[in-house]
Amino acid sequence: MALPFVQELIFGVVTGSYIAIGAIGFTMVYGLVNMINFAHGEYMTVGAYLGFVAAESLGLPVTLALVPVMLVSGFAGWALAWLVFEPLSDTGPIPLLLTSIGLGLVLRNGIRLVASPEKRYVDLNATTFRFDDLGFFVTGQHLLLFAVTAVAVVGVHLFLTRTTMGKAMRAMSDNEALAKVTGIRTRRMRAIVWILASAFAGLAGYMLAIGQGATPHTGFSQLLLVITAAILGGAGSVYGAVVGAYVLGITVSLAIALLPSWASELGTTMAFVVLVLVLLVRPGGITGEEVSA
Amino acid sequence: MATAEDIRERLPIGSGTIGGLLVAVSLVFLLTPLFVQPPGWTLTFFEDIILFLLFGFLVVGLNLQFGHTGLVNFGHVAFFAVGGYTAAMLTANDPLVGVGLGFPWPVGLIGAVVAAAALGALIGASTLRLRGDFLAIVTLAIAEILHDLLGSFQGITGGDVSLQNVPRPIADLAGTAGASAMLTTVLFAGLLLVTYAVFHRLSESPYGRVLRAIRADERVTQTLGKNVFGYKFWAFVYGAAIAGVAGALYAFNLGSVSPGFFTISVTVTVWVGMLVGGPGNDWAAIIGVGIIVGFRLATRFLNEQVPAISADQFASVRLMLVGLLLILIIRYRPQGLWGDAGKLGVDQ
Repeated sequence: MALPFVQELIFGVVTGSYIAIGAIGFTMVYGLVNMINFAHGEYMTVGAYLGFVAAESLGLPVTLALVPVMLVSGFAGWALAWLVFEPLSDTGPIPLLLTSIGLGLVLRNGIRLVASPEKRYVDLNATTFRFDDLGFFVTGQHLLLFAVTAVAVVGVHLFLTRTTMGKAMRAMSDNEALAKVTGIRTRRMRAIVWILASAFAGLAGYMLAIGQGATPHTGFSQLLLVITAAILGGAGSVYGAVVGAYVLGITVSLAIALLPSWASELGTTMAFVVLVLVLLVRPGGITGEEVSA
Repeated sequence: MATAEDIRERLPIGSGTIGGLLVAVSLVFLLTPLFVQPPGWTLTFFEDIILFLLFGFLVVGLNLQFGHTGLVNFGHVAFFAVGGYTAAMLTANDPLVGVGLGFPWPVGLIGAVVAAAALGALIGASTLRLRGDFLAIVTLAIAEILHDLLGSFQGITGGDVSLQNVPRPIADLAGTAGASAMLTTVLFAGLLLVTYAVFHRLSESPYGRVLRAIRADERVTQTLGKNVFGYKFWAFVYGAAIAGVAGALYAFNLGSVSPGFFTISVTVTVWVGMLVGGPGNDWAAIIGVGIIVGFRLATRFLNEQVPAISADQFASVRLMLVGLLLILIIRYRPQGLWGDAGKLGVDQ
């Protein structure tokens, strides 16, 4: 007997996993640097294309290529932040937001210029596990994605709760001035956050390249989903963002399944409807962050 | 440096009067047997100017929202699209696909303004109490939702086929395409000047000072007994309404609307133009948009001269430069080319 909606749930968890990895970085930057980074999507695209270089040109095994992809994305993201965002760190959120839109334009079109517009895949060469009796299947890409997401989430959790640096990061996210007088080196913490956030963005992009293929617009098309997940979870809260990502992924996936076929393209639109509703009903998200003006 | 503002101030008559005269001139040519036939090569030139003028309407509204009040509306194209589609759906005569109610064009124009203002009121009422940058996300998301909906509901909006048979009142009266383009340019320029005069008057008045006070510090303004939310709300609605007008003008000029035009690149063009010119200064913002639109045309012209490079590559390079310009202007000249740093509170 085919179980109803199991396949849709799997797809939802898959979508949620991509968004979760992307949203972890986004929300860290939001919490610590206090900016909405509209270039975060492009950081993801960069990861996808680094993956093509690492896995195809350098011939690294797909899973091993994770390491250089994350390292290079992390340091590239930090270098860009140091160059573009750090000089504006005293100007408040709006100039930072506008600058990130500019940076997004530069990166997106730069990638478009050097890469072909066709969709490219990192070939994992994985088997598909079919459960035809129960009416669903899971691919090797899915399993790798679940594993990577689980490791990433647990890793971030351990980092935030067990290390001095993670604790300092949470303190700074809570109250930067207070963190500074306690002796936390806020500039260095910002640099570390940029490295981590960009590394996770790169990872998300690379996983997308494995699972769905990537074009120069991949990151940008995921950006609103990532932002939605982060806000749904309470902007700045890493745990909230992960929960938000899965709620969102499953919503989108079920919406696609339940909507009539002519409206199936509106699955992602549903996500934005969720975003607007959350902001209207409970703008602080699941964790209830402070967001009023 | 004599700024555009200074030159404008020295003119013996106000921009509202000039605008009114231009409107009158274009109407005289349209409604009487007087007839002009501009040379054929001017057609594309005037079409580009019309595009710039439409962006001019958008930037005047956006400047009231961001330049004067500090509201980060990153979905300005949504109000433009709502205006365009409302006007088109109210007035289209038996379009191939989509809804066409066949009302006369004034109904479409009024409907466009009402619909855009209503959307603005809805978003404003719900989001303006939140942290400033949340408005950016909501408006961006609304614009994306709208773009998806316009493409998907083909039976209502015409989808990617585009909604056609929208009346073109100016083209009908003018006769030839060349005369139509020229008179549309004169009429739109006149209307833009009148709009500019109204919005400029608004922002120079005590009302405008309250808006700038809100931009500088909401709490202080609240303490002075001003209803901060009310001011923000109405500034947002006015900006949305004028974008609705621009949408209707676009639809009546082209005779059709399609989702392909109402993309985020409209928002980006208007924003970058405003930031380059100078937020908080309506005149500078319009010139800034002119620079960006002109830049777009110049690169298109260049592209025709260098056929070896594909249009797509050229577009990429152009957008990269626009992004770079945005980064540089915020870093090194946050008040824009002609803006007032003190007024904007960005002088360091």
